[in-house]
Amino acid sequence: MRRLRGLLATLVAAALAPAALAAQEPAVVTGRVTNASGGPENAVLVRINSLNVGTTSTADGSYRLVVPGSRIRAGTQATVTASRVGLAPQSRTVTLSPGASVTQNFQLGSDALRLNELVVTGAGTTQTRVEIGSARNNVPAELISRSNESNVVQALAGKAPNVEVTASSGEPGSSSYIRMRGTRTISGSGQPLFVVDGVPINNESFSTSNFNPIDELGTGEISGTTQSNRAVDLNPEDIESVEILKGAAAGALYGARAGQGVVLITTKTGRTGATRYSLKSTLSLDDVNRTYPLQTRYGQGRRGVAPGEHSCDDPNVNGGLCTRSWGPDLTASGIPVFNHATEAYDTGREFENNLSISGGSERTTFYMSLSRVDNSGVFKGPNNWFDRTTVRLKGTHFLAQNFSLGGNVSFADTRGSFIQRGNNVNGLQLGLLRTPPNFNNCLPETCYLDPTTLLHRSFRMQHPQVGSESSTRGFDNPFFALFEPENRAQVGRVFGNVTSSWLPRPWLTLAYTLGADYSTDERLEGAPQASSDVSAGGRVTDGKIVDYQISSDLTATARYRLSHAFNGTVTLGQSLNNRNNRVLATVGRTLVAPEPFKLSNTVSRDPPYDYETVVHNSSVFGQGTFEAWDQLYLTLAARNDGSSTFSANHRRSWFPKASVAWNAVNLLGNPEFLGLFKLRAAYGEAGQEPLPFLTTNAFSSSIVGGISQGTGFTPTQSGYGGLVSNFVKGADDLRPERTKELEAGFDIGLASGRAEVNFTFYNARTEDVILNVALPPSSFYTRQAQNAGTFRNRGVELAVSGRPVDRHNLTWDVGVQWGTNRSRVLKLEGVDWVALDPLSITPFGVAKEGEPVGVFYDYGVVRCGLSPEGQDAAVEGVDLATVCAGAPKGAVYIGEDGFPVRDPNQRVIGDPNPDWTGGFNTTLRVGRVELGGLLDIRHGGVIYNGTRGALYSYGTHKDTEQRATCTLVAGDEVCTGNEKVFGQSILPGAVVGPGAGMAVPIGENWYRNGLGPCPFSDVAELCMEDGSYVKLRELSLGYDFTSGWLTRLTGVRDVNVRVAGRNLHTWTDYTGYDPETNLGGAIQKTRGMDYFNMPQTRSFVISVSLNH
Amino acid sequence: MPRPNAIRLALVASLAGVAACSSDFLSVDDPNQPTRASTAQLFVGHQAAEFAVQEGSLAMAACLFTQQCAGVGGRFVEQMGEYNFNSGSFSGDWTQTYAFGGLVDLREVEKRTQESGDRTWLGIARVWEAFSVGTAASIWGDVPYSEIGQAQPHLDPQLQVYDNLQTLLTTAIADLQSGTGAGPGALDLVYGGDRQKWIRAANTLKARLYLHTAEVRGAAAYTAAINAALNGIQSPAGDFRSAHTSSTSERNLWYQFQETSFGNDLVAGSLLVNLMKARSDPRLPEYFGTADDGTYQGGVSPLRGTRIAPDYRQPFLSYIENELILAEAYQRTGNDAAALTHLNLARASVGLPALAGLAGTALFQAIVAEKYIAMFQNIEAWNDYKRTCFAGLGLVPRSSSQAVTPGQVPGRVFYGQTEENANPNIPSTASQLSNGGVAEGRPSLHGFRNPNDPTACS
Repeated sequence: MRRLRGLLATLVAAALAPAALAAQEPAVVTGRVTNASGGPENAVLVRINSLNVGTTSTADGSYRLVVPGSRIRAGTQATVTASRVGLAPQSRTVTLSPGASVTQNFQLGSDALRLNELVVTGAGTTQTRVEIGSARNNVPAELISRSNESNVVQALAGKAPNVEVTASSGEPGSSSYIRMRGTRTISGSGQPLFVVDGVPINNESFSTSNFNPIDELGTGEISGTTQSNRAVDLNPEDIESVEILKGAAAGALYGARAGQGVVLITTKTGRTGATRYSLKSTLSLDDVNRTYPLQTRYGQGRRGVAPGEHSCDDPNVNGGLCTRSWGPDLTASGIPVFNHATEAYDTGREFENNLSISGGSERTTFYMSLSRVDNSGVFKGPNNWFDRTTVRLKGTHFLAQNFSLGGNVSFADTRGSFIQRGNNVNGLQLGLLRTPPNFNNCLPETCYLDPTTLLHRSFRMQHPQVGSESSTRGFDNPFFALFEPENRAQVGRVFGNVTSSWLPRPWLTLAYTLGADYSTDERLEGAPQASSDVSAGGRVTDGKIVDYQISSDLTATARYRLSHAFNGTVTLGQSLNNRNNRVLATVGRTLVAPEPFKLSNTVSRDPPYDYETVVHNSSVFGQGTFEAWDQLYLTLAARNDGSSTFSANHRRSWFPKASVAWNAVNLLGNPEFLGLFKLRAAYGEAGQEPLPFLTTNAFSSSIVGGISQGTGFTPTQSGYGGLVSNFVKGADDLRPERTKELEAGFDIGLASGRAEVNFTFYNARTEDVILNVALPPSSFYTRQAQNAGTFRNRGVELAVSGRPVDRHNLTWDVGVQWGTNRSRVLKLEGVDWVALDPLSITPFGVAKEGEPVGVFYDYGVVRCGLSPEGQDAAVEGVDLATVCAGAPKGAVYIGEDGFPVRDPNQRVIGDPNPDWTGGFNTTLRVGRVELGGLLDIRHGGVIYNGTRGALYSYGTHKDTEQRATCTLVAGDEVCTGNEKVFGQSILPGAVVGPGAGMAVPIGENWYRNGLGPCPFSDVAELCMEDGSYVKLRELSLGYDFTSGWLTRLTGVRDVNVRVAGRNLHTWTDYTGYDPETNLGGAIQKTRGMDYFNMPQTRSFVISVSLNH
Repeated sequence: MPRPNAIRLALVASLAGVAACSSDFLSVDDPNQPTRASTAQLFVGHQAAEFAVQEGSLAMAACLFTQQCAGVGGRFVEQMGEYNFNSGSFSGDWTQTYAFGGLVDLREVEKRTQESGDRTWLGIARVWEAFSVGTAASIWGDVPYSEIGQAQPHLDPQLQVYDNLQTLLTTAIADLQSGTGAGPGALDLVYGGDRQKWIRAANTLKARLYLHTAEVRGAAAYTAAINAALNGIQSPAGDFRSAHTSSTSERNLWYQFQETSFGNDLVAGSLLVNLMKARSDPRLPEYFGTADDGTYQGGVSPLRGTRIAPDYRQPFLSYIENELILAEAYQRTGNDAAALTHLNLARASVGLPALAGLAGTALFQAIVAEKYIAMFQNIEAWNDYKRTCFAGLGLVPRSSSQAVTPGQVPGRVFYGQTEENANPNIPSTASQLSNGGVAEGRPSLHGFRNPNDPTACS
């Protein structure tokens, strides 16, 4: 990697200075470095390891290496090595004497496969690419920059096999979830560890609504605003490279924090030489990539009857006719209709400016950058934006030839304003999509305000009267939701490290890094007085999250050489880590004055929400590598983790690893075309540490007893303080979750570098998965965290890259990556199933023995082979075994009335995990023009489209435009017309049962009262849809202006202009906004939930980079 | 070559770090909740928890099952009044008995006071234990007791539990009589640390628990009850009552439920109201509010007498109960004269005139009726009914379709769902219904009833 190379070069250069002062005459080695065709090669590192000297070749390929006379005697034999990324290294032995000059030329073959490139492998270790025994996935700066994503996690989408990235929505600043090789935990976040320049950083997501346990019961992530994952505080333009450690074998050096993988981020470093300036400005125009399909034909009402003129003025009085759009046909009456699907959106704009300055002298390098992102969001109104300002300063200085100090500090100011969404009557989408087409949400003059009283009006309170300022509106008017509430997050964050590196002996390096990550995240949710439901009267939620992490890492790395054929390294390390997260928040209720949203402006305050976590880790680790005959590479490593989260009897835990890589080109007779034929196998263990304080036996002052919600006694009575033992028993025997993973594969590359294939198979068994196991109360406690589950994830990964065309002025690169993961819950002790996220809306994503991790478990319709068979097992008076005889599995049972029947037994009703994911990328360069594209593919996996089900009930979904006419006859609903046959024209598929083949009217009887509206009928199965997609993630056209006159005229070395598109198109059968979505964002492990989620966006981007 | 001091500093810092990775660094207490609690705090917490059990769902169910109360409004209160409940209905009471302020913390108080030699406090705690476990045994029959606190306790046979509680109470009385130890003083929310009152309450509790066994043990149980009750509570001033204040979460639970939560889903039961009206019982305004027309009506009058005051102290063990235990026990052992004497002492304590000339069955029914009225809102009213089959008590209407025990007033309730799910020693709800809640190989009894109560009232 460039950073390391630069560092080494500087180091060696620095070594020369004091040497010159030595009394003895130096020896000088000079020569020229050329390539296979005889052309000069510059920037080749030429060094003598044993004497700790080195230099780099100049533009004409020449080099001059000065060896201090004090280090040699006459006739000293020394090995000179010339190496550079992209060239095959070469070593020659020379004989040195003080005062003598030696000439040594090098002609280096090409190393297009970059086998000798140094790769950061974590915990202070590096290995060359050829040595690595596990699958390697690297994302370089160019690809991150080209993605036009301001969130580095989202920039990883489609870049590596089995790295699934899901943006929770297109709202600016919204979180992105990343999952590698399947979910391997229940108690943990399911997110990988993020490490920047060797220091772990915080990538948490937290929902502001969870500051309010009374209204939200801890489910803010599904009913509040979207929230950022904190890696968004990184400026992607600062990133030099991202190394993704997917499995336990790759991540074992991070022990109990690597269970879900590790993302190693290396930031850019200055290089010795002239100061470089780079300015990049990007304008991105965003819009919603798909609007929701709504009908505009039928108005407010029920069974064809519209509500009277003033009957929809108070949602507390008249819910009946007002809530739904099952009213009269509007086309006949000429009543105007409004397209609610599009009215809330605008064109969003994102300006991004990035300035970086880097450079250095022989002893000192620096990199500094300044960036600013201004995103105005795609929703109308002033309250949807996201801004980020970052500053980074990074420098390295050699105090002595063998000792360097470095510092790297980044400051980020990240602020966003978000819109309420999800399962929430104050949310934008709920009010927007449920509004009948004949209600105008936004009047020309006053928009969401009543023209007379200037009060918040919605379709369920159409004419608010004076005095209703603090009454619920049923649902908030979507424009009210956009314009009036304030939902803010404001983060100030400083993170970085100081490092020192000392080479006391040529073969020994000691490195120390002290890193810290400190952020305050201030949140505000202000609901105005005229908000609906629980926030009616106004509510202010104000709080702060302070997160502080500090890490100390010491490593010692020694190189050894047993003989010419055998050598290697030994690394020993020690690591301390302290994480502290503190939350303090208060909810104020009922605003005194309409504004401001300040706690002091509220009538009453809830008890403060005050919670703190502290985790301490103390670890030692070691790694040994062994290289034999330049083709066999063995790595052995182990980490011993101590964590405050482990129970006292398991304070420390070992995580071993072993890998072997064999470049077998020799065995194959060293054919000239083949540069790499590497067979590799690796085994490693990594884990997930328990949540903090699970081992603590604590006492509670919470309410005891009680008959119903809100009743009971505090343990403190009559002024005497009281405490009671907690429900949760401290775990006395709690170990980290442990993934044991075996992977094997091969890498084959052509020597020309024009094609490479990487294949990996892995089998990961995660043991000791932590569950909250129920205890019998007579044991004195009701729950305890225990290691009680076993998961398996296994899969195959394939990456193919190639350059079909490689001519002087024309190159064409293509890459394909493909991965599949199959998960299975092998064991769960004590429970049939457990929800991955205990507080959520149904259907739950669960772990259930014998099923993939995360399947949806809830109610469905009666189906052959899926519902329990036997008399009355699913349908009263019916033996399903008889009815289903001969029918295919999954055939729907149709009752006598011609409709499907609800199965009273819960079962697995869908699997949100994709069958496979993949990507296709291509780059075509013609002269100075570059055309690039990336397709991101996800095949299989269901999405729970609860939005569609709800809109069926409300009669606003496009599908309900075809509807039977329903009327009330003697108290019974009678529907005629729009006849469909289940299994044919509706819910196509095999059917059985007495009503099979019967034509039935489909109108309110099905859409409002049947099983179709799954969020309300609880038959979640009918909301399941295929979530497959192919996304055109990136398409870009760039042009490089580089010319002498430009440089002479402006001093600018080159100018790059790019036009690009992001998420330009999505091919999918999913009927909601976008199959790339998740209600729980990056907070929940439950995937594939869509319930009034925000839409996704696409972008058109223009960027200009000036490099000096 | 210079020797950079910074390196040494870094090394020293790291070595210091290594030293820090002793167990101290890795031992982190939860900063959010206390990890230590004083004996005083646990004792106050336990009292709050047990008040909650005695005034909670079980007391409400007893009130409904015995038709002292009626449920209206269609919600769970009305359902329960129709004997419709499931294993989740009393799961909270079960949990509260053992965990979260229940026996878990009481046992800790006993352990610590025993270690410190405070026999007064220890004796008081032991009476609390007998009170709490005695209630549980009367509701659920066989309950975990000898193995509580272990991973998966077995059920102890109910009668064995009663015997163990008698022993425990005898020990507690000896502790209290020893005069050793300062006791909890004002932290004792019931008696303010008064040893003599505790000794009497312990004796009344002994008598009550002997009565529980009378249906299967006959005269011996009554005789034992008399012996205990003679040393029992001597006046209403010695009643064992909960303590409440008007602070939000210190208010009488009946008040909380009626006035701040579901709102008047509980009303007067016709049986009780009519009985009290017929004898112009002075306690009517104490028990109930009036209907809109100013009269007391079953199914209408709210539970809004003076007893609903937020700081009303519910009596759990009382002088009147003690007198009526004596009355019942003397009558059942053939001493009608003594029985009548104690009946009239009980009546006098609430301002009712003395009765005369009663004997035999008529006397027994009068005692039972007197106790039925006196034990309003007390779980014991249901236990009394199971044993004495108060004649006026028929089945509530509409009780057939959803009732757990159609055609009978329930004899018990299901074990808590959380216990059933996590303890393999607990029989399933289905087998509780089919074999009378008797588990672990003991012979089945008579439907959904407890061992001390083999015979359903007809």
